[in-house]
Amino acid sequence: MFDQLIKSIFQAEFLFVIIRITAPILFAALAAVISEKAGVANIGLEGMMMITALFGFLFAYWTQSWVVGVLGAILVGIILGLMMGFFSFKLKTDIILSGIAVNMLGAGGTIFLLNMFTGLRGNTGALVSPNILIPTIDIPLINKIPILGDILSGHAILTYLAFIFVFLMRTFLYRTPLGLKMRAVGENPNAASSVGVSVIKMKYIAIAASGALAGMGGAFMSMYYSQGWNQGMVAGRGFIALAAQAMGRGEPVGAMFSSLLFGLAQAMKTKVSGLRGMASYNYLIEMIPYVVTIIGLVFYALSVKLKTRKHQLQPIKE
Amino acid sequence: MRDKRMVLFGFVRGAAAIVLALAVGAIFIFLSSDEPFTALRYLLIGPFVSFHGGVTAFNTQNFYQILAAMIPTIFTGLAVCVMFSANQFNLAAEGCVLVGGFVGSLIGIYANIATGWHPVICVLVSAVVCGLIMLIPSVLKVTLGASEMVTSLMLNFVLLYIVLHFLNYHFADRSKGATMTFPFLDSAKIPSLVSGTSKLTWGFVVALIISFLVWVFMYRTRWGYAIRMIGINESFSLYSGMNVGRMIILSSVIGGILSGMGGSLEVLGRYNTFVWRELPGYGWTGVTIAILAKNNPGAVPLAAFFLAYLNKGCQLMSTHSDVPSEMIDIIQAAIFLFFAAEQFLSGFRQKLVVKTTREELVRAESLDAIEGE
Repeated sequence: MFDQLIKSIFQAEFLFVIIRITAPILFAALAAVISEKAGVANIGLEGMMMITALFGFLFAYWTQSWVVGVLGAILVGIILGLMMGFFSFKLKTDIILSGIAVNMLGAGGTIFLLNMFTGLRGNTGALVSPNILIPTIDIPLINKIPILGDILSGHAILTYLAFIFVFLMRTFLYRTPLGLKMRAVGENPNAASSVGVSVIKMKYIAIAASGALAGMGGAFMSMYYSQGWNQGMVAGRGFIALAAQAMGRGEPVGAMFSSLLFGLAQAMKTKVSGLRGMASYNYLIEMIPYVVTIIGLVFYALSVKLKTRKHQLQPIKE
Repeated sequence: MRDKRMVLFGFVRGAAAIVLALAVGAIFIFLSSDEPFTALRYLLIGPFVSFHGGVTAFNTQNFYQILAAMIPTIFTGLAVCVMFSANQFNLAAEGCVLVGGFVGSLIGIYANIATGWHPVICVLVSAVVCGLIMLIPSVLKVTLGASEMVTSLMLNFVLLYIVLHFLNYHFADRSKGATMTFPFLDSAKIPSLVSGTSKLTWGFVVALIISFLVWVFMYRTRWGYAIRMIGINESFSLYSGMNVGRMIILSSVIGGILSGMGGSLEVLGRYNTFVWRELPGYGWTGVTIAILAKNNPGAVPLAAFFLAYLNKGCQLMSTHSDVPSEMIDIIQAAIFLFFAAEQFLSGFRQKLVVKTTREELVRAESLDAIEGE
């Protein structure tokens, strides 16, 4: 059984699948990173992805253009982010609760909205056509390299974008004045405010950016990954992304590696369930990504704890 | 005077939040429906009034159904209240309801216990199991500082798949078309409170009693005080010598116990066998209820009633008009956002405070003047 598994893992196709599965988690994890950097805990990512996935798909269907779909999803994501920001920064709703509200909208509200706009119930299977799906691209030169080409070439445009964003975000956070201000707001809002940085403005920018990234993740899900919108589609990826952010120590590159870990867990799940004799364990196999997330969080928390102990520092209580 | 005005303000603000949320709902109804007034009528007054044959009358069956629907949500509402009071955003009540229902069902099917005691044992065992489950996020939080929110969210999925595994491969009744367990023994079912098909069982009475007990615990005992104090100011609690970690674990375990009880009372009261194939959603409703009740267990039944009423209204609306019942999620999210908004109507509140203070000053001055004479 294990040699079957190993045989199917050591293939270019498996690595290709990991990258494909990682992309939406990575978008959401980057969304978590940027909002967390400004001190905003965005737990509404799950709902944001559901809603933007729906609108992305609908915009693409109405205009028969995937570009409009992706842009629409980003726009809706920004609106959702600003709405969360309005309630939390202006009306002082606890940010966690605004996040839960967005998740509620994502769970049931989307079914209502889909019905309102199209009369369909539960999924958009009937509306899918090839020209509204995000196209894949073959990278010239790299696709000629034997194994590497199979792994790296032929992904959707957004997949490449997700990985490019990791480095763009690192540059933004550590090499631009705006990024510096944003980090300052997250680390010590009073200090930032005392040197004239508008804390509220930075937080709005961060959560809007977070919404935009979640929007890309949502568009990726409905317009490429599952080829249409359905109600169980996001399946906790928004929450997994929160764990990826925590495990990646809130840094873009760290979040990328932990997203890849979850992508690996997800891909393993598919592989293991395809093995002979595993059919009656399918539900336990479904569990793998979530268990990996919990274990990952535990190891991360443990490492932080050991590190602080080594430096003879008391862990800072929130 | 000031307190009285502030309490009144609290009510007005809550009512305004609800009206605003319903207005948001109404906008969506007008946007989506061809018969918005029929839809609105069923949503708002449908649950109580039946319109059959032009005669309007109070609908007792619907009323009982609303009360029946409150059974699991009162429990999850209480669970979330206790955990949120300690500032623990633990969202595993959702998974615990499912596990509680499943464990209760298994005992209801396979254990032969005398009538009368059987449901009690079912509920107690599922409560204990769920209390133990809650140790996972809370102990990880206290010992390692791992975010209880993320672990509990992941835990919900883990619990769902564990239950599905055992349901499908160990306890399924293969003679049925759909996946379900064998039927409960009659001795395990929760007896009905009223005749008819409303499913209003003694579970409702238990829920009310437990709400009262949880209120007593939170507001009249040392542990309850400690839990609330951690929520108000964790550092203060730590420096004044409370065992903060232990109290956080306690609050989560109580949350688990309550959700487990709710799950098993619901399943054994409503169904003949275990039929849940996904997370039932009561945990999330519990969060809304806790927000509406402002974490006060005493107000939980009221908040649960309100949501059950709305839910029934949405169901009636979707049967009698063209608006889908998922409308409830939009209204619920809107209520949630406005209700939890501390600064909502804050300008009005400010004016009220200024006015009250002025009046008090005037009164104090006149008192001084009298004393001075």
